[in-house]
Amino acid sequence: MSENIAQLEIKALTSGYGEIQVLWGIDVGISAGETVCIIGSNGVGKSTLLRTISGIVKLTGGSITLDGVSLNNATPEDVLSAGIVHVPEGRRLFSAMSVRDNLLMGAYLRKDKSAIQDDLEYVYHMFPILAERRRQDAGTLSGGEQQMCAIGRGVMGRPRYLMIDELSLGLAPRAVDLLFEALHNINQSGVAILLVEQDVMNALEFADRAFVVDQGKIIVSGNADEVAANPLVQEAYMGVV
Amino acid sequence: MLYLQILLNGLLLGGLYALIAVGFSLVWGVLNVINILHGTFIVLGSYIAYFAHLYFGIHPFASVIISGSVLFCLGYVIQAGIINRVVAAPVLMTLTLTFGLDLLLNNAMLIAFTADYRKLILTDSLGSYDLWGLILPLNRVAGVGLAALLTFGLYRLLRDSNIGRAIVAVRMDREAATLMGVRVNRINAVTFALGALMAGAAGSIFSIIYPISPINSGLFLGKAFVICILGGLGSVPGAMIGGIALGVIESYGALFFGPEHSTTLAFVILIALLIFRPTGIMGRKGYE
Repeated sequence: MSENIAQLEIKALTSGYGEIQVLWGIDVGISAGETVCIIGSNGVGKSTLLRTISGIVKLTGGSITLDGVSLNNATPEDVLSAGIVHVPEGRRLFSAMSVRDNLLMGAYLRKDKSAIQDDLEYVYHMFPILAERRRQDAGTLSGGEQQMCAIGRGVMGRPRYLMIDELSLGLAPRAVDLLFEALHNINQSGVAILLVEQDVMNALEFADRAFVVDQGKIIVSGNADEVAANPLVQEAYMGVV
Repeated sequence: MLYLQILLNGLLLGGLYALIAVGFSLVWGVLNVINILHGTFIVLGSYIAYFAHLYFGIHPFASVIISGSVLFCLGYVIQAGIINRVVAAPVLMTLTLTFGLDLLLNNAMLIAFTADYRKLILTDSLGSYDLWGLILPLNRVAGVGLAALLTFGLYRLLRDSNIGRAIVAVRMDREAATLMGVRVNRINAVTFALGALMAGAAGSIFSIIYPISPINSGLFLGKAFVICILGGLGSVPGAMIGGIALGVIESYGALFFGPEHSTTLAFVILIALLIFRPTGIMGRKGYE
Protein backbone atom coordinates (compact mmCIF):
# COMPACT_ATOMS: atom_id res chain seq x y z
CA MET A 1 0.00 0.00 0.00
CA SER A 2 1.39 3.37 -0.94
CA GLU A 3 1.59 5.53 2.16
CA ASN A 4 0.58 9.00 1.04
CA ILE A 5 0.29 11.75 3.57
CA ALA A 6 -3.46 11.75 3.73
CA GLN A 7 -5.30 15.01 4.06
CA LEU A 8 -8.73 13.60 4.71
CA GLU A 9 -7.85 11.14 7.42
CA ILE A 10 -10.25 8.67 8.99
CA LYS A 11 -8.88 6.70 11.92
CA ALA A 12 -10.42 3.83 13.90
CA LEU A 13 -13.84 5.18 13.03
CA THR A 14 -16.83 3.57 14.69
CA SER A 15 -20.39 4.61 14.02
CA GLY A 16 -23.91 3.32 13.65
CA TYR A 17 -27.58 3.94 14.26
CA GLY A 18 -28.69 3.91 17.89
CA GLU A 19 -27.95 0.49 19.33
CA ILE A 20 -26.77 -0.91 16.04
CA GLN A 21 -23.08 -0.47 15.41
CA VAL A 22 -22.22 -0.54 11.71
CA LEU A 23 -18.59 0.57 11.47
CA TRP A 24 -16.06 -1.25 13.61
CA GLY A 25 -12.86 0.73 13.27
CA ILE A 26 -12.33 2.08 9.75
CA ASP A 27 -9.02 3.58 8.63
CA VAL A 28 -9.07 5.42 5.33
CA GLY A 29 -6.94 8.28 4.07
CA ILE A 30 -7.38 10.36 0.96
CA SER A 31 -4.91 12.91 -0.36
CA ALA A 32 -5.81 15.99 -2.30
CA GLY A 33 -6.52 15.25 -5.94
CA GLU A 34 -6.58 11.49 -5.49
CA THR A 35 -9.18 8.95 -6.60
CA VAL A 36 -10.16 6.33 -4.09
CA CYS A 37 -12.85 3.70 -4.24
CA ILE A 38 -14.53 1.79 -1.48
CA ILE A 39 -15.99 -1.52 -2.51
CA GLY A 40 -17.91 -4.19 -0.70
CA SER A 41 -21.28 -5.95 -0.72
CA ASN A 42 -24.62 -4.59 0.35
CA GLY A 43 -25.02 -3.59 3.96
CA VAL A 44 -21.38 -3.69 5.03
CA GLY A 45 -21.26 -0.03 6.00
CA LYS A 46 -20.05 1.81 2.89
CA SER A 47 -22.89 4.32 2.89
CA THR A 48 -22.71 4.69 6.66
CA LEU A 49 -19.05 5.64 6.27
CA LEU A 50 -19.93 8.46 3.87
CA ARG A 51 -22.86 9.54 6.04
CA THR A 52 -20.58 9.68 9.06
CA ILE A 53 -17.97 11.74 7.22
CA SER A 54 -20.61 14.21 6.06
CA GLY A 55 -21.98 14.61 9.58
CA ILE A 56 -25.45 13.16 9.09
CA VAL A 57 -24.57 10.24 11.34
CA LYS A 58 -22.58 11.00 14.49
CA LEU A 59 -19.43 8.98 14.98
CA THR A 60 -19.17 6.99 18.20
CA GLY A 61 -15.40 6.62 18.23
CA GLY A 62 -12.21 7.28 16.32
CA SER A 63 -11.59 10.46 14.39
CA ILE A 64 -12.13 12.31 11.13
CA THR A 65 -9.66 15.08 10.32
CA LEU A 66 -9.21 17.31 7.30
CA ASP A 67 -5.74 18.86 7.00
CA GLY A 68 -5.29 18.15 10.68
CA VAL A 69 -8.53 19.86 11.74
CA SER A 70 -10.99 17.61 13.53
CA LEU A 71 -14.40 17.08 11.93
CA ASN A 72 -15.58 14.78 14.72
CA ASN A 73 -18.37 17.09 15.85
CA ALA A 74 -18.90 18.86 12.53
CA THR A 75 -22.41 19.50 11.25
CA PRO A 76 -23.17 18.72 7.58
CA GLU A 77 -22.89 22.47 7.00
CA ASP A 78 -19.36 22.55 8.49
CA VAL A 79 -18.28 19.55 6.43
CA LEU A 80 -19.57 21.18 3.26
CA SER A 81 -17.86 24.46 4.09
CA ALA A 82 -14.64 22.54 4.60
CA GLY A 83 -14.89 21.37 0.99
CA ILE A 84 -16.28 17.86 1.35
CA VAL A 85 -19.39 17.21 -0.75
CA HIS A 86 -21.49 14.06 -0.50
CA VAL A 87 -23.55 12.87 -3.48
CA PRO A 88 -25.94 10.48 -1.73
CA GLU A 89 -27.08 7.05 -2.77
CA GLY A 90 -30.17 7.12 -4.96
CA ARG A 91 -29.34 10.64 -6.17
CA ARG A 92 -31.86 12.26 -3.81
CA LEU A 93 -32.67 15.07 -6.19
CA PHE A 94 -35.46 17.51 -5.33
CA SER A 95 -37.79 15.87 -7.79
CA ALA A 96 -40.37 18.60 -8.40
CA MET A 97 -37.73 21.32 -8.67
CA SER A 98 -36.17 22.20 -11.98
CA VAL A 99 -32.75 20.90 -12.95
CA ARG A 100 -31.36 24.41 -12.63
CA ASP A 101 -32.81 24.87 -9.15
CA ASN A 102 -31.38 21.52 -8.09
CA LEU A 103 -27.96 22.63 -9.27
CA LEU A 104 -28.36 25.94 -7.46
CA MET A 105 -29.21 24.08 -4.25
CA GLY A 106 -25.73 22.58 -4.49
CA ALA A 107 -24.36 26.11 -4.18
CA TYR A 108 -26.68 26.98 -1.29
CA LEU A 109 -23.91 28.00 1.11
CA ARG A 110 -21.98 30.01 -1.44
CA LYS A 111 -22.32 33.76 -1.69
CA ASP A 112 -20.17 34.37 -4.80
CA LYS A 113 -22.99 34.94 -7.27
CA SER A 114 -20.99 35.39 -10.45
CA ALA A 115 -18.81 32.36 -9.73
CA ILE A 116 -21.99 30.34 -9.17
CA GLN A 117 -23.14 31.33 -12.66
CA ASP A 118 -19.77 30.26 -14.07
CA ASP A 119 -20.05 26.91 -12.32
CA LEU A 120 -23.56 26.43 -13.71
CA GLU A 121 -22.12 26.91 -17.18
CA TYR A 122 -19.30 24.50 -16.29
CA VAL A 123 -21.82 21.82 -15.29
CA TYR A 124 -23.92 22.46 -18.40
CA HIS A 125 -20.77 22.12 -20.47
CA MET A 126 -19.88 18.87 -18.73
CA PHE A 127 -23.40 17.46 -19.18
CA PRO A 128 -25.01 19.17 -22.19
CA ILE A 129 -28.23 17.21 -21.68
CA LEU A 130 -28.73 19.06 -18.38
CA ALA A 131 -28.45 22.38 -20.20
CA GLU A 132 -31.17 21.23 -22.57
CA ARG A 133 -33.40 20.18 -19.68
CA ARG A 134 -32.56 22.95 -17.25
CA ARG A 135 -36.18 24.01 -16.87
CA GLN A 136 -37.54 20.50 -16.59
CA ASP A 137 -38.40 18.95 -13.22
CA ALA A 138 -35.56 16.76 -12.04
CA GLY A 139 -38.02 13.93 -11.43
CA THR A 140 -38.71 13.68 -15.16
CA LEU A 141 -35.08 12.87 -16.03
CA SER A 142 -33.88 9.36 -16.81
CA GLY A 143 -31.78 7.57 -14.20
CA GLY A 144 -28.50 8.44 -15.89
CA GLU A 145 -29.49 12.08 -16.32
CA GLN A 146 -30.54 12.21 -12.68
CA GLN A 147 -27.12 10.96 -11.65
CA MET A 148 -25.53 13.63 -13.85
CA CYS A 149 -27.69 16.21 -12.14
CA ALA A 150 -26.71 14.84 -8.72
CA ILE A 151 -23.02 15.00 -9.57
CA GLY A 152 -23.49 18.44 -11.09
CA ARG A 153 -25.21 19.51 -7.89
CA GLY A 154 -22.21 18.19 -5.98
CA VAL A 155 -19.79 20.10 -8.20
CA MET A 156 -21.78 23.29 -7.55
CA GLY A 157 -20.58 23.06 -3.95
CA ARG A 158 -16.98 23.63 -5.17
CA PRO A 159 -15.67 20.48 -3.47
CA ARG A 160 -12.06 19.59 -2.76
CA TYR A 161 -13.27 16.11 -1.92
CA LEU A 162 -16.26 14.70 -3.78
CA MET A 163 -17.82 11.61 -2.22
CA ILE A 164 -20.16 9.64 -4.46
CA ASP A 165 -22.34 6.84 -3.17
CA GLU A 166 -23.25 4.22 -5.78
CA LEU A 167 -22.51 5.98 -9.03
CA SER A 168 -23.71 3.25 -11.36
CA LEU A 169 -26.48 1.48 -9.46
CA GLY A 170 -29.36 0.71 -11.80
CA LEU A 171 -27.98 2.68 -14.76
CA ALA A 172 -27.45 1.72 -18.38
CA PRO A 173 -23.82 0.88 -19.30
CA ARG A 174 -23.60 3.84 -21.68
CA ALA A 175 -24.67 6.25 -18.96
CA VAL A 176 -22.13 4.67 -16.60
CA ASP A 177 -19.33 5.25 -19.11
CA LEU A 178 -20.34 8.88 -19.49
CA LEU A 179 -20.43 9.36 -15.74
CA PHE A 180 -17.01 7.81 -15.20
CA GLU A 181 -15.62 10.03 -17.92
CA ALA A 182 -17.12 13.06 -16.20
CA LEU A 183 -15.66 11.97 -12.86
CA HIS A 184 -12.29 11.63 -14.52
CA ASN A 185 -12.55 15.20 -15.80
CA ILE A 186 -13.65 16.49 -12.42
CA ASN A 187 -10.68 14.75 -10.87
CA GLN A 188 -8.36 16.28 -13.47
CA SER A 189 -9.54 19.70 -12.34
CA GLY A 190 -8.03 18.93 -8.94
CA VAL A 191 -10.92 17.43 -6.99
CA ALA A 192 -10.23 14.29 -4.97
CA ILE A 193 -12.87 11.63 -5.49
CA LEU A 194 -14.06 9.06 -2.99
CA LEU A 195 -16.26 6.61 -4.79
CA VAL A 196 -18.43 3.98 -3.16
CA GLU A 197 -19.37 1.43 -5.77
CA GLN A 198 -20.77 -2.05 -6.19
CA ASP A 199 -19.53 -2.32 -9.76
CA VAL A 200 -16.12 -3.50 -8.63
CA MET A 201 -14.52 -3.81 -12.06
CA ASN A 202 -15.31 -0.27 -13.13
CA ALA A 203 -14.42 1.14 -9.74
CA LEU A 204 -11.01 -0.50 -9.64
CA GLU A 205 -10.30 0.61 -13.16
CA PHE A 206 -11.17 4.19 -12.27
CA ALA A 207 -9.50 4.64 -8.89
CA ASP A 208 -5.85 5.05 -7.85
CA ARG A 209 -6.40 3.25 -4.58
CA ALA A 210 -9.07 0.97 -3.20
CA PHE A 211 -10.44 -0.17 0.12
CA VAL A 212 -12.54 -3.28 0.55
CA VAL A 213 -15.08 -3.13 3.38
CA ASP A 214 -16.62 -6.16 4.99
CA GLN A 215 -18.75 -6.20 8.14
CA GLY A 216 -17.78 -2.68 9.08
CA LYS A 217 -14.03 -3.17 8.71
CA ILE A 218 -11.45 -2.64 5.99
CA ILE A 219 -10.26 -6.09 4.98
CA VAL A 220 -8.09 -5.23 1.97
CA SER A 221 -6.51 -1.96 0.91
CA GLY A 222 -3.87 -0.78 -1.51
CA ASN A 223 -3.30 0.45 -5.03
CA ALA A 224 -6.26 -0.38 -7.22
CA ASP A 225 -4.33 -2.85 -9.40
CA GLU A 226 -2.97 -4.63 -6.32
CA VAL A 227 -6.44 -4.90 -4.87
CA ALA A 228 -7.76 -6.13 -8.21
CA ALA A 229 -5.10 -8.85 -8.19
CA ASN A 230 -5.89 -9.92 -4.62
CA PRO A 231 -7.29 -13.48 -4.73
CA LEU A 232 -9.79 -12.73 -1.97
CA VAL A 233 -11.19 -9.81 -3.95
CA GLN A 234 -11.20 -11.76 -7.19
CA GLU A 235 -13.13 -14.58 -5.60
CA ALA A 236 -15.62 -12.57 -3.58
CA TYR A 237 -16.33 -9.60 -5.85
CA MET A 238 -15.18 -10.36 -9.36
CA GLY A 239 -16.53 -13.84 -9.80
CA VAL A 240 -13.11 -15.34 -10.49
CA VAL A 241 -12.77 -18.79 -8.92
CA MET B 1 -76.95 39.72 -13.65
CA LEU B 2 -77.63 38.29 -10.20
CA TYR B 3 -75.53 35.23 -11.02
CA LEU B 4 -72.72 37.39 -12.26
CA GLN B 5 -72.87 39.49 -9.10
CA ILE B 6 -72.77 36.32 -7.00
CA LEU B 7 -69.80 35.10 -9.00
CA LEU B 8 -68.03 38.39 -8.42
CA ASN B 9 -68.79 38.26 -4.70
CA GLY B 10 -67.50 34.70 -4.64
CA LEU B 11 -64.29 35.64 -6.41
CA LEU B 12 -63.67 38.51 -4.01
CA LEU B 13 -64.33 36.28 -1.03
CA GLY B 14 -62.12 33.62 -2.60
CA GLY B 15 -59.17 35.98 -3.00
CA LEU B 16 -59.29 36.60 0.74
CA TYR B 17 -59.75 32.92 1.50
CA ALA B 18 -56.64 32.15 -0.53
CA LEU B 19 -54.66 34.43 1.76
CA ILE B 20 -56.01 32.61 4.83
CA ALA B 21 -54.97 29.27 3.46
CA VAL B 22 -51.64 29.95 1.85
CA GLY B 23 -49.64 30.22 5.08
CA PHE B 24 -51.46 27.33 6.70
CA SER B 25 -50.81 25.21 3.64
CA LEU B 26 -47.13 26.15 3.51
CA VAL B 27 -46.57 25.13 7.13
CA TRP B 28 -48.49 21.90 6.70
CA GLY B 29 -46.71 21.02 3.48
CA VAL B 30 -43.16 21.85 4.51
CA LEU B 31 -43.11 21.02 8.22
CA ASN B 32 -45.87 18.42 8.27
CA VAL B 33 -47.31 20.48 11.12
CA ILE B 34 -51.04 21.15 11.21
CA ASN B 35 -50.95 24.56 12.78
CA ILE B 36 -54.07 24.95 14.90
CA LEU B 37 -52.75 28.38 15.89
CA HIS B 38 -53.36 29.72 12.39
CA GLY B 39 -56.88 31.01 13.08
CA THR B 40 -55.74 32.74 16.25
CA PHE B 41 -52.82 34.30 14.35
CA ILE B 42 -55.34 35.80 11.93
CA VAL B 43 -57.44 37.21 14.77
CA LEU B 44 -54.31 38.64 16.40
CA GLY B 45 -53.49 40.34 13.11
CA SER B 46 -56.98 41.84 13.10
CA TYR B 47 -56.53 43.19 16.64
CA ILE B 48 -53.21 44.74 15.70
CA ALA B 49 -54.92 46.45 12.76
CA TYR B 50 -57.83 47.49 14.99
CA PHE B 51 -55.68 49.10 17.67
CA ALA B 52 -53.28 50.62 15.14
CA HIS B 53 -56.31 52.25 13.55
CA LEU B 54 -57.94 53.23 16.83
CA TYR B 55 -54.90 54.81 18.48
CA PHE B 56 -52.70 55.89 15.60
CA GLY B 57 -55.14 56.21 12.74
CA ILE B 58 -53.18 53.76 10.62
CA HIS B 59 -55.17 52.34 7.72
CA PRO B 60 -55.49 48.52 7.95
CA PHE B 61 -53.84 48.14 4.56
CA ALA B 62 -50.79 49.94 5.93
CA SER B 63 -50.83 48.05 9.21
CA VAL B 64 -50.35 44.85 7.19
CA ILE B 65 -46.67 45.69 7.59
CA ILE B 66 -46.98 45.89 11.38
CA SER B 67 -49.14 42.81 11.85
CA GLY B 68 -47.05 40.85 9.34
CA SER B 69 -43.81 41.75 11.13
CA VAL B 70 -45.16 41.08 14.62
CA LEU B 71 -46.60 37.72 13.59
CA PHE B 72 -43.42 36.80 11.69
CA CYS B 73 -41.38 37.32 14.87
CA LEU B 74 -43.93 35.51 17.03
CA GLY B 75 -44.03 32.61 14.58
CA TYR B 76 -40.24 32.38 14.44
CA VAL B 77 -39.96 32.28 18.23
CA ILE B 78 -42.71 29.67 18.59
CA GLN B 79 -41.16 27.36 15.99
CA ALA B 80 -37.52 27.84 16.99
CA GLY B 81 -38.23 27.70 20.72
CA ILE B 82 -41.03 25.17 21.01
CA ILE B 83 -42.23 23.26 17.95
CA ASN B 84 -38.74 22.43 16.63
CA ARG B 85 -38.25 20.24 19.71
CA VAL B 86 -40.89 17.82 18.46
CA VAL B 87 -41.08 18.65 14.76
CA ALA B 88 -39.91 15.20 13.70
CA ALA B 89 -42.55 13.50 15.87
CA PRO B 90 -45.73 12.07 14.31
CA VAL B 91 -48.21 14.69 13.16
CA LEU B 92 -50.57 14.02 16.08
CA MET B 93 -47.88 15.19 18.51
CA THR B 94 -47.33 18.53 16.78
CA LEU B 95 -51.07 18.92 16.29
CA THR B 96 -51.60 18.49 20.02
CA LEU B 97 -48.83 20.97 20.71
CA THR B 98 -50.23 23.67 18.44
CA PHE B 99 -53.69 22.94 19.85
CA GLY B 100 -52.35 23.60 23.34
CA LEU B 101 -50.54 26.75 22.25
CA ASP B 102 -53.74 27.88 20.55
CA LEU B 103 -55.69 27.46 23.79
CA LEU B 104 -53.12 29.62 25.57
CA LEU B 105 -52.97 32.37 22.99
CA ASN B 106 -56.68 32.42 22.29
CA ASN B 107 -57.62 32.56 25.96
CA ALA B 108 -55.01 35.24 26.58
CA MET B 109 -56.75 37.25 23.87
CA LEU B 110 -60.15 36.57 25.43
CA ILE B 111 -58.86 37.95 28.72
CA ALA B 112 -57.15 40.91 27.12
CA PHE B 113 -59.76 41.89 24.55
CA THR B 114 -62.92 40.03 25.77
CA ALA B 115 -65.11 38.03 23.40
CA ASP B 116 -67.10 41.12 22.37
CA TYR B 117 -67.18 41.75 18.67
CA ARG B 118 -65.42 44.91 17.64
CA LYS B 119 -65.71 46.60 14.31
CA LEU B 120 -63.09 48.66 12.64
CA ILE B 121 -64.95 51.45 10.90
CA LEU B 122 -63.05 53.29 8.23
CA THR B 123 -63.65 57.03 8.26
CA ASP B 124 -62.77 57.32 4.61
CA SER B 125 -64.38 54.23 3.11
CA LEU B 126 -63.96 53.91 -0.61
CA GLY B 127 -67.62 53.08 -1.08
CA SER B 128 -68.67 51.08 -4.08
CA TYR B 129 -68.55 51.40 -7.80
CA ASP B 130 -71.23 50.51 -10.30
CA LEU B 131 -69.72 48.63 -13.21
CA TRP B 132 -72.47 48.11 -15.82
CA GLY B 133 -74.85 47.07 -13.10
CA LEU B 134 -72.32 45.04 -11.11
CA ILE B 135 -71.67 46.41 -7.65
CA LEU B 136 -67.97 46.54 -6.82
CA PRO B 137 -67.36 47.13 -3.10
CA LEU B 138 -64.11 49.02 -3.48
CA ASN B 139 -62.62 48.39 -0.01
CA ARG B 140 -63.02 44.73 -0.59
CA VAL B 141 -61.59 44.94 -4.09
CA ALA B 142 -58.55 46.77 -2.75
CA GLY B 143 -58.23 44.19 0.03
CA VAL B 144 -58.31 41.35 -2.48
CA GLY B 145 -55.74 43.17 -4.59
CA LEU B 146 -53.44 43.43 -1.60
CA ALA B 147 -54.08 39.79 -0.72
CA ALA B 148 -53.20 38.76 -4.26
CA LEU B 149 -50.03 40.83 -4.09
CA LEU B 150 -48.97 39.15 -0.85
CA THR B 151 -49.76 35.69 -2.18
CA PHE B 152 -47.83 36.39 -5.36
CA GLY B 153 -44.94 37.71 -3.28
CA LEU B 154 -44.78 34.46 -1.33
CA TYR B 155 -44.93 32.49 -4.56
CA ARG B 156 -41.99 34.41 -6.05
CA LEU B 157 -40.06 34.09 -2.80
CA LEU B 158 -40.41 30.30 -2.86
CA ARG B 159 -39.48 30.09 -6.52
CA ASP B 160 -36.70 32.59 -6.94
CA SER B 161 -34.86 33.16 -3.70
CA ASN B 162 -32.18 31.11 -2.03
CA ILE B 163 -34.23 30.77 1.14
CA GLY B 164 -37.33 29.86 -0.87
CA ARG B 165 -35.49 27.11 -2.68
CA ALA B 166 -34.24 25.84 0.68
CA ILE B 167 -37.81 25.75 1.99
CA VAL B 168 -38.96 23.72 -1.01
CA ALA B 169 -35.91 21.48 -0.72
CA VAL B 170 -36.64 20.76 2.95
CA ARG B 171 -40.18 19.91 2.01
CA MET B 172 -39.08 17.42 -0.64
CA ASP B 173 -36.12 15.76 1.03
CA ARG B 174 -34.98 16.80 4.47
CA GLU B 175 -31.78 14.79 4.47
CA ALA B 176 -30.71 15.82 0.97
CA ALA B 177 -31.33 19.43 1.98
CA THR B 178 -29.09 18.90 5.01
CA LEU B 179 -26.37 17.65 2.68
CA MET B 180 -26.65 20.93 0.76
CA GLY B 181 -25.77 22.73 4.00
CA VAL B 182 -29.33 23.76 4.79
CA ARG B 183 -29.95 24.17 8.52
CA VAL B 184 -33.30 22.46 8.64
CA ASN B 185 -34.32 23.87 12.04
CA ARG B 186 -33.72 27.39 10.83
CA ILE B 187 -35.71 26.79 7.65
CA ASN B 188 -38.49 25.31 9.81
CA ALA B 189 -38.58 28.49 11.85
CA VAL B 190 -38.55 30.76 8.79
CA THR B 191 -41.32 28.71 7.18
CA PHE B 192 -43.51 28.84 10.27
CA ALA B 193 -42.80 32.55 10.59
CA LEU B 194 -43.82 33.13 6.97
CA GLY B 195 -47.04 31.22 7.60
CA ALA B 196 -47.72 33.43 10.62
CA LEU B 197 -46.86 36.54 8.60
CA MET B 198 -49.45 35.62 5.98
CA ALA B 199 -51.99 35.01 8.76
CA GLY B 200 -51.24 38.36 10.36
CA ALA B 201 -51.51 40.15 7.04
CA ALA B 202 -54.81 38.38 6.35
CA GLY B 203 -56.03 39.51 9.76
CA SER B 204 -55.24 43.14 8.95
CA ILE B 205 -57.10 43.00 5.66
CA PHE B 206 -60.04 41.13 7.20
CA SER B 207 -60.45 43.75 9.90
CA ILE B 208 -62.23 46.05 7.45
CA ILE B 209 -64.68 43.32 6.44
CA TYR B 210 -65.41 41.10 9.41
CA PRO B 211 -66.13 41.95 13.03
CA ILE B 212 -63.18 41.04 15.26
CA SER B 213 -63.30 38.58 18.15
CA PRO B 214 -61.06 35.77 19.43
CA ILE B 215 -63.93 33.33 18.92
CA ASN B 216 -63.61 33.75 15.15
CA SER B 217 -60.35 31.81 15.12
CA GLY B 218 -62.05 28.42 14.74
CA LEU B 219 -63.99 29.68 11.75
CA PHE B 220 -60.81 30.84 9.99
CA LEU B 221 -59.06 27.58 10.79
CA GLY B 222 -61.96 25.58 9.35
CA LYS B 223 -61.80 27.57 6.13
CA ALA B 224 -58.05 27.02 5.87
CA PHE B 225 -58.60 23.28 6.21
CA VAL B 226 -61.26 23.13 3.52
CA ILE B 227 -59.19 25.23 1.11
CA CYS B 228 -56.11 23.05 1.58
CA ILE B 229 -58.10 19.94 0.81
CA LEU B 230 -59.81 21.61 -2.15
CA GLY B 231 -56.64 22.97 -3.70
CA GLY B 232 -54.09 20.39 -2.67
CA LEU B 233 -51.65 20.72 0.13
CA GLY B 234 -48.65 22.97 0.32
CA SER B 235 -48.77 24.74 -3.02
CA VAL B 236 -49.38 28.44 -3.48
CA PRO B 237 -51.37 28.02 -6.72
CA GLY B 238 -53.33 25.26 -4.96
CA ALA B 239 -54.29 27.61 -2.14
CA MET B 240 -55.35 30.22 -4.69
CA ILE B 241 -57.54 27.78 -6.62
CA GLY B 242 -58.91 26.25 -3.43
CA GLY B 243 -59.66 29.65 -1.93
CA ILE B 244 -61.42 30.92 -5.00
CA ALA B 245 -63.33 27.66 -5.37
CA LEU B 246 -64.53 27.87 -1.77
CA GLY B 247 -65.50 31.51 -2.15
CA VAL B 248 -67.58 30.83 -5.25
CA ILE B 249 -69.13 27.68 -3.80
CA GLU B 250 -70.14 29.50 -0.63
CA SER B 251 -71.61 32.41 -2.54
CA TYR B 252 -73.77 30.25 -4.78
CA GLY B 253 -74.55 27.97 -1.86
CA ALA B 254 -75.89 30.96 0.04
CA LEU B 255 -78.05 31.87 -2.95
CA PHE B 256 -79.55 28.43 -3.56
CA PHE B 257 -79.74 26.96 -0.07
CA GLY B 258 -79.76 30.07 2.09
CA PRO B 259 -76.79 31.72 3.78
CA GLU B 260 -77.07 29.44 6.80
CA HIS B 261 -76.13 26.44 4.64
CA SER B 262 -73.23 27.87 2.69
CA THR B 263 -70.66 26.48 5.12
CA THR B 264 -72.45 23.13 5.19
CA LEU B 265 -72.14 22.92 1.43
CA ALA B 266 -68.42 23.67 1.61
CA PHE B 267 -67.88 20.85 4.06
CA VAL B 268 -69.99 18.41 2.04
CA ILE B 269 -67.77 19.12 -0.95
CA LEU B 270 -64.74 18.70 1.30
CA ILE B 271 -65.85 15.23 2.32
CA ALA B 272 -66.64 14.28 -1.28
CA LEU B 273 -63.19 15.41 -2.39
CA LEU B 274 -61.50 13.54 0.43
CA ILE B 275 -63.18 10.39 -0.82
CA PHE B 276 -62.72 10.85 -4.55
CA ARG B 277 -59.70 13.07 -5.05
CA PRO B 278 -57.61 13.27 -1.89
CA THR B 279 -54.77 15.14 -3.63
CA GLY B 280 -57.02 18.14 -4.27
CA ILE B 281 -57.89 19.92 -7.51
CA MET B 282 -54.35 21.13 -8.14
CA GLY B 283 -52.85 18.23 -6.27
CA ARG B 284 -49.35 17.36 -7.32
CA LYS B 285 -47.20 15.61 -4.83
CA GLY B 286 -44.06 17.36 -3.72
CA TYR B 287 -44.16 20.96 -4.84
CA GLU B 288 -43.86 23.96 -2.54
